Amino acid sequence: MRRLINKWTILGLVIVLVAIAALKVQDWHQLWVIASAPDNVPIVAMLFLVPFFTWLGVRQALANDRLVTELEGDSKLAKTHHRKAEPWRPGWAKELHVWPYLVRVEFLATVIVTVVLFVWSITLNAPLEEPANPNLTMNPSKAPWYFLGLQEMLVYFDPWIAGVVMPSIIMIGLMVFPYVDSNPLGNGYYTIKQRRFSLLMFGWGFLMWILLIVIGTFIRGPGWIWFWPGQTWDHNAVVFDKNVDLHDMIATSTIGKAIGLGFLASNPWKFLFGLMVVSGFYLIGALFFHWLMTVDFKKLKLRRPFKENLFPKDAFEQKLLARTSLLQYLTFQFFAVSVLLALPVKLALRLALTIKYVWVTPWFNI
Amino acid sequence: MADAPGTGESPGESLVKRTPELPLKDPIASRSSSGWMLVSALLLTATLAWSLWDEAFGQRPWKGMQKEFVSRYTRYLDSIKSKSRQSEDEIKETSEYQQLDEEAKAATEQVKPDVDQINQEVDRIQKKLDAVTDPFQNQRGRLTVINYNVEISNGAAKDRYRRNAETLKQQKVTVEVPSDDGKSIEKKSFDYSSLEQYYNELRDNKASLLGEKAEKLKVPTELAKKRDDYLKNHLVGLGPAAIEGLKAKVAKFDYSILGHQISVNAYNIVDRCEVCHVGIREPLDLRPADLAPDGPGKEPDALARAFVSHPNRELLAIHNPDKFGCSGCHWGNGRATTSDIKGHGSNKFWLWPMFEKENTEAGCQQCHAKDRVTDGADTLNLGRDMFSQRGCMGCHRYEGFDRETDALNNTRQNIGQLEDQITANEKMIRYAENPGSEVSDVEANALLAKATSLRVTNSLLAARIDQLNVQSKYLMQDVKKVGPNLKDVRLKLRKEWIPVWLQNPQAFRPETKMPTFWRFAAGNGSREAHLRDKDGEDQIQAIAAYLWQDSFNGKVPEQQRGDAGHGKTLFESRGCLACHSIGEGDSKIGGTFAANLTKVGEKSNFDYVVRWIHNPRERYAPYCPKEKRDLTADDYAKKGLPYVFDTELHSRCPNDGAELQVQNMTVMPNFRLAEGDARDIATYLFSLSSPPSYSAASFMDDSNLKEKGRLLIKQYGCAGCHEIQGFEDEQRIGKELTVEGATPIERLDFALQTKHAEEGMDPLKEVIRPDSKDEKPWYNHKGFFEHKITQPSIYDEGKEKDPKDRLRMPEPFLTPQWRTALTTFLLGSVGSEGANVPSSLFYDPEDQRRQDIQNGWWVVKKYNCQGCHQLQVGQRSVVMDLPFYQTAEGKDLLPPRLSSEGARVDPSWLLRFLHDPSLSGEKTPAQAQQIAQLTPNARASASPSSSTATSGPKLKAQPGLDRNGVRPYLQFRMPTFSFSPNELQVLVRFFMAMSGQQDPYIKEPMEPLTDQERMTARQMFTSGTPCLKCHVTGDPTHDAKAIAPNFLLASERLKPDWTFRWLLDPSQIAPGTAMPSGLFKKEGDRWVVNLPNPPASANAYQHDHARLLVRYMFQMSPDEQRALLATAPVTPAATTTTTQHHARARSRPLNHHRSLVRQRPWKGLATSVKVSLQAF
Repeated sequence: MRRLINKWTILGLVIVLVAIAALKVQDWHQLWVIASAPDNVPIVAMLFLVPFFTWLGVRQALANDRLVTELEGDSKLAKTHHRKAEPWRPGWAKELHVWPYLVRVEFLATVIVTVVLFVWSITLNAPLEEPANPNLTMNPSKAPWYFLGLQEMLVYFDPWIAGVVMPSIIMIGLMVFPYVDSNPLGNGYYTIKQRRFSLLMFGWGFLMWILLIVIGTFIRGPGWIWFWPGQTWDHNAVVFDKNVDLHDMIATSTIGKAIGLGFLASNPWKFLFGLMVVSGFYLIGALFFHWLMTVDFKKLKLRRPFKENLFPKDAFEQKLLARTSLLQYLTFQFFAVSVLLALPVKLALRLALTIKYVWVTPWFNI
Repeated sequence: MADAPGTGESPGESLVKRTPELPLKDPIASRSSSGWMLVSALLLTATLAWSLWDEAFGQRPWKGMQKEFVSRYTRYLDSIKSKSRQSEDEIKETSEYQQLDEEAKAATEQVKPDVDQINQEVDRIQKKLDAVTDPFQNQRGRLTVINYNVEISNGAAKDRYRRNAETLKQQKVTVEVPSDDGKSIEKKSFDYSSLEQYYNELRDNKASLLGEKAEKLKVPTELAKKRDDYLKNHLVGLGPAAIEGLKAKVAKFDYSILGHQISVNAYNIVDRCEVCHVGIREPLDLRPADLAPDGPGKEPDALARAFVSHPNRELLAIHNPDKFGCSGCHWGNGRATTSDIKGHGSNKFWLWPMFEKENTEAGCQQCHAKDRVTDGADTLNLGRDMFSQRGCMGCHRYEGFDRETDALNNTRQNIGQLEDQITANEKMIRYAENPGSEVSDVEANALLAKATSLRVTNSLLAARIDQLNVQSKYLMQDVKKVGPNLKDVRLKLRKEWIPVWLQNPQAFRPETKMPTFWRFAAGNGSREAHLRDKDGEDQIQAIAAYLWQDSFNGKVPEQQRGDAGHGKTLFESRGCLACHSIGEGDSKIGGTFAANLTKVGEKSNFDYVVRWIHNPRERYAPYCPKEKRDLTADDYAKKGLPYVFDTELHSRCPNDGAELQVQNMTVMPNFRLAEGDARDIATYLFSLSSPPSYSAASFMDDSNLKEKGRLLIKQYGCAGCHEIQGFEDEQRIGKELTVEGATPIERLDFALQTKHAEEGMDPLKEVIRPDSKDEKPWYNHKGFFEHKITQPSIYDEGKEKDPKDRLRMPEPFLTPQWRTALTTFLLGSVGSEGANVPSSLFYDPEDQRRQDIQNGWWVVKKYNCQGCHQLQVGQRSVVMDLPFYQTAEGKDLLPPRLSSEGARVDPSWLLRFLHDPSLSGEKTPAQAQQIAQLTPNARASASPSSSTATSGPKLKAQPGLDRNGVRPYLQFRMPTFSFSPNELQVLVRFFMAMSGQQDPYIKEPMEPLTDQERMTARQMFTSGTPCLKCHVTGDPTHDAKAIAPNFLLASERLKPDWTFRWLLDPSQIAPGTAMPSGLFKKEGDRWVVNLPNPPASANAYQHDHARLLVRYMFQMSPDEQRALLATAPVTPAATTTTTQHHARARSRPLNHHRSLVRQRPWKGLATSVKVSLQAF
């Protein structure tokens, strides 16, 4: 098994997937128009930069993790070893100063970034479009790339949730996370082993955000219709989307009717039903995150007895959990379920099951 | 770094020398980043340099262009300088110049000593002034400061400053003043007041001396200016000095944007077009070849074409770029400077790109949208012509194009409202008179008073309705349709021909106005054939059936065939060809205003055509707009009225008194032909083709098809162009196009062509752009309009639609020129929202004259006056290009030029002439008798619809039969257009305004001739140039060769001032006229006859000869003319015409009418004109 998953098979797989995607492209010109728009330069760059730096970071983290393992096994070495990236050797300075060793690298980076920005600004002018016309909205009317994720969220939630509540939760969440983190390790170096869960949560959120931006850029065409990459963005394209609220879907389905759930279509039942679904979601989501926090992936197996095999505990993670206060824990759970889980779940519900809202209230819809 | 590497641990005491364990170098501390640093620094420097270059040149490509312009322009100026110097020298050689030069020089010499002396004196004073100015100004400055301090300080300080000022004033200043001879210097000492006095004295002296000098130089300067003006006026192009000046200007060229940008704050215009188009406003006419890269006259490149001067300097003078900018007219992005694509606005996001060269005049339409004819915009004018004449306006509303229909609807609406008001008032009156018992006496009296007042109001309203009724009658008379009246098809057409025509009009009559209705009629080989509806054939049958069944079922008087040869002559000479064309392919001649008549014999009923030629306005049955149906003889019989309807006295419906439609809605006029002539012309037209046999069309009588046909006619909007029974009030089916050009491009539905348009794939390239090789994207307004009018079905291609939703616009026939013109017209139709200039800049003439001109153009264009007449200098009429009028004799027989008609004729006469160009209530004896016999009842029996059974003369006799009023010698016939009084008025005002005439025109009384003067004039009239040789006299034998109007008409018809100017130099007023020029020569202040041996009496006459002749002409009487003829070589006329008397008798009411109109421009018009016209 391990032999099969090596870099060559992965590369081969990627090539095959790309080839299949290329064959599916009907309109190369359209693809080029999108990719070459000056507006979209950052996103095209992101397609390459995000995987690259992720890979780079993971590589570094794995190296560090190996070192940590080594040092944990050799207390003598651990005493003399001060550098985290490379094994210390005699004759080396025990500590290095920020100036010049760090600053010169940063300076170099600054210079290179400046060069890139210079070239960029000379060669690509500001992507201005036609003068605004209050009588005629452009179609598609897209936000700047960094807001495209927010705009894409509007498809899945009502404007109040997607435009106000979610962004606020995300921002407050990002501010709060340092304070709910009880893990003292992993500062100033890359590591997976020591910060497994926080890394997973951050990566999840970040990639989700990137994904929304990419969807907004490459997939959403005129009328905010879903066009696969390579499909022509036809202004006259017609789609038939009929999204239904969950309670209506159940109430009007054959089974729903058969077992007498028609009452769900009207208040107060639909309110209560939505409240129930959402509460259930929070409960299940919290359990899921709790499980994810402490599970030992290496011992995880899909076999009986489930109780032992599905819920093995990782000692280190359990230790971390023990350090966490109840307030820290609940705060994290709230933000994690509200954003990290709710967003992809709603996306799947809408795109795959055409469900509009699960909880309809007079004040907001979820 | 900190720990020096390589030292290792200190050597032990052992003697064995151990090699020290050299640790590996610290990868961070020892690694040098200088290489990276160097490369990055170099890169940063390079990009910095790049950005500076980009700022200075990359973003400013115009700098290079300006440099190129300066070098090429300088080279061109050099190349023309020598030529200019040469021509200047030539002028300087002329004796006039020499003389002027000498005079100027002599005058200069004369005053030279005095001037020199003054100059010396001034020099002396100036030196002293120089010496004294600085000390004086210093003192004054100090004093001013002290005085200021006095003003702002208080108490002790104030006094102290005052004392300081005193001290300063007393202070002595030493000035070194040069002596008068300038050799020695005298030191003088002044206190402040004496210094000031001395300074002022010197300045006054200097000023008076300079004044004296200017006075002395006045004469020489004037003479020199006269000389220079002479040179300037005689030099073609620029003189060497001016060229030198241009060179100097170019040498100091301002390489900047600001120096070349137009900025009009008030209109928010910033245009930098001239940053690259540097030569646009140069005073020289710069052509591309002048600025060619390899020197003047060589092959020009793109830059040379960009540097030219504006091709239309006059236009530029009217539309000063400093006020309008460039993009105001041309569109494009006036602010952009970085590339021509951006500047011309051809980039994707600039909504209003610059108009292509062929569509430039679209820019005119923005502001001149209310004009019918815009001077200098020929393409645009053609576009407007096409829009109205080819029937676009039948389906599409366009503000201004439906003047009569709109006005008529308004009037009818007004009438309806007034009638409602009267009814309401009557109700009120009834109540006021019987208010019931609970009303007190006081209230009852008030109510009664109110009732009385309402009755008065009602009578006023009734009068107003009468006025509006008359107005609606005139408007109905003016409403015209593009296509023929289809109520007549049964009488007019061969039954079987109708489906053939509907099937493919272009096949039967190429270039016809009738567009191809591709939905059901696309012929084989047509571009739209594949889009044709499956049931096309059925649709044709249904439409034909409706038209056939809902048509008048009467009989036209039968006609015998006439003389085709004579008919041909008449057809070619009476003026039919000004509108109609005849012949096919290369042999086609005539105008495009009306149909080609070659195949008229294949489709029509001969009897009907004769009747039509005889009087096309004659209607079969009057239409009552109130009842919405055509009236029949029964309607009249029920009321005991004769079945008579005309525009004059019988235009009211017998049932409800509404104004009737009593004329055909055709613009074709009445040529006042005799019945025989009409027959001959019809015979000629029928001889041009042999009627084929068409397949029988029995379905046309199938009444089951009628309803389907009605729906189809409604769907396709046939009634936009045709009069059809049941569709009289039908609305337009198309989109209003008044502001179509301003539609955002996203709202123009390219449908499935969008991608093709954006990528430059053009399915109609062969049609629209056959010459160009490269494919051009056409996703823009121009592309949309061009494709739409070329092939209206194009945006339906490939669409899955319900038939009732499919596009309906038929395909018109358009030449490439017409297509461009229409596209231009549509592109410019942007309204005030879409215009590139604020609406305050729109052309909206406030003065009556310009309004009169535009109002007139609508009528002139409507009736195609320009088919025969030249209205503007340089404009060619259709008949001028006909083969028959290319000879010298032929040219003399062309209809008169009307470019100065307003200056020539008396407006009241013109009004009468336009109403009846035969100028004749006069009839031939036979006619007079006939008309005299016709009581209304008798006339009714002669009217065609009811006279089918009677024999004898079947067509209604017409007044003024077969004669021209002014120029009987012309073959052409000025036809009777049956203008309504509104249109007569508009036309007269148009002609007056075109010639810049004052309104109103008041005839000056003519001083009567003394006997002596009459003698003199008579002699001048007959000797040398016998005026009567060419001018008509009324005597048939004499008039056979005459080519000019009768003098008897002059007093009434002409204006004396114009006649005077005409006598002096006719060729200047009407180039190419047969009237000889140079009949008079100037002698002192008066004009005398220019004859080899003038009559003695003329020599003796001391006043102006030309004026005398004018007076003579204006007082010409038939007796006098007879007397003249007696002395002339031609036989005198036996009888005189009675025209004069008739005309005189009629003139009074007309004048009366004009004065009325002037007092009450609109309200009085209807009734007063009615009165005056009935007096005819």
